[in-house]
Amino acid sequence: MKRGEVLAIIGPSGSGKSTLLRCLNKLETIDSGTILVEGKALVRTGADGKAEYVDSEAEKEALSHMGMVFQQFNLFPHMTVIENLIEAPVQVQGLKKADILPYARELLQKVGLSDREDYYPSQLSGGQQQRVAIARALCMKPDIMLFDEPTSALDPELTGEVLKTMRELAAEHMTMVVVTHEMAFAREAASHVIFMADGNIVEENNPGEFFGNPQEERTKAFLKNML
Amino acid sequence: MNLLDMILQMAEGSKVTLEIFFVTLILALPLGMLASLARLSSCRPLSFLMEFYIWLMRGTPLMLQLLFVYFALPMIGIMLPDLAAALLAFTLNYAAYFAEIFRSGIQAVPKGQYEAAKTLGMSYTQTMRRIILPQVIRIVLPPISNETINLVKDTSLIYILAMNDLLRVARTIVQRDFDMMPFLVAAVFYLLMTFVLTWGFKRLEVRYGRYAK
Repeated sequence: MKRGEVLAIIGPSGSGKSTLLRCLNKLETIDSGTILVEGKALVRTGADGKAEYVDSEAEKEALSHMGMVFQQFNLFPHMTVIENLIEAPVQVQGLKKADILPYARELLQKVGLSDREDYYPSQLSGGQQQRVAIARALCMKPDIMLFDEPTSALDPELTGEVLKTMRELAAEHMTMVVVTHEMAFAREAASHVIFMADGNIVEENNPGEFFGNPQEERTKAFLKNML
Repeated sequence: MNLLDMILQMAEGSKVTLEIFFVTLILALPLGMLASLARLSSCRPLSFLMEFYIWLMRGTPLMLQLLFVYFALPMIGIMLPDLAAALLAFTLNYAAYFAEIFRSGIQAVPKGQYEAAKTLGMSYTQTMRRIILPQVIRIVLPPISNETINLVKDTSLIYILAMNDLLRVARTIVQRDFDMMPFLVAAVFYLLMTFVLTWGFKRLEVRYGRYAK
């Protein structure tokens, strides 16, 4: 992947899309293969064929480039919106509250939730919670954002507001990997599409070609059902 | 015996009751928390050891454990003062129950919370202290409240160790004066204590529950 690219990963349930994504930030470990983040290895496979992860310092560094947004939001329920945002910058990066607050507020404004900073997650709608989760991940200033089916737990009418936020991010050239069932989003916002089935990458192309002229039978069948 | 003298004597007995209660609570809560973390540890021998300890403590009567500490330990050369012996048995017993309550609380926090903390770069210690435990406290407050109220009443078991707690003082007066009044007074004392606890835990639940819908 290149910087600024938006990669959409699509495919039927159980095809390994989320697993692939979760391997990138070590929520799942791999048995063999190599993952490079910003040119540096997170894990590589030596001659013995076994994947070897880098030491914990280098791993921390590699993982710090990535932010993640989950299907189930996973906001911290005992913290207010603003507390959710500043928790990691304060605890992990050692920033002072006062130093990170302006940026956190800026992000809330960006996702359109400035007036909700003192709410608890349970007081927000699903779409609002997911936008907070996006802001929380952004607050760590990641270079790459990973999205694991960010709209799958939302009502159709709330999906739009989250996709809008993601489109804006893409327009700002944030590097993004998005596992999604939203074909319209993949078609319009992605610079690259990967189609997976049964744990394998079946087809890979730019969205114009991918949706306009799919090559593989498996892809054609999937798209026919989805569109 | 007039009522005032009776109440004063029983207040004296309450001191022993309250001492056992508070010291047990203060020792058993952190001990139970550590035991639950050990029980959930990926280190197999440690986890197995904790499972055994919990099984032993929950599987035998507290009364038996008290008698064991008081009578059996001296036979192998461990002599403890009365109060220390009682506190040892109570603490070990309650820590086991608390450990299981904490374990269920920790396991009730969704896996996604750990994952979110991890993707934000938080360490295990930070995750437990800042993210998991505050949520565990809210989940475990009702069962901890239950056990704590049980503890108030369980303290009366030390009468077998000839310590003058609230119930023993009451019984002594009853047997001496053939007057049932001390039992009623004792009941009122226990009710007062559990009333204060119930009220206190209710406030804690409100405080820790404010973020839930």
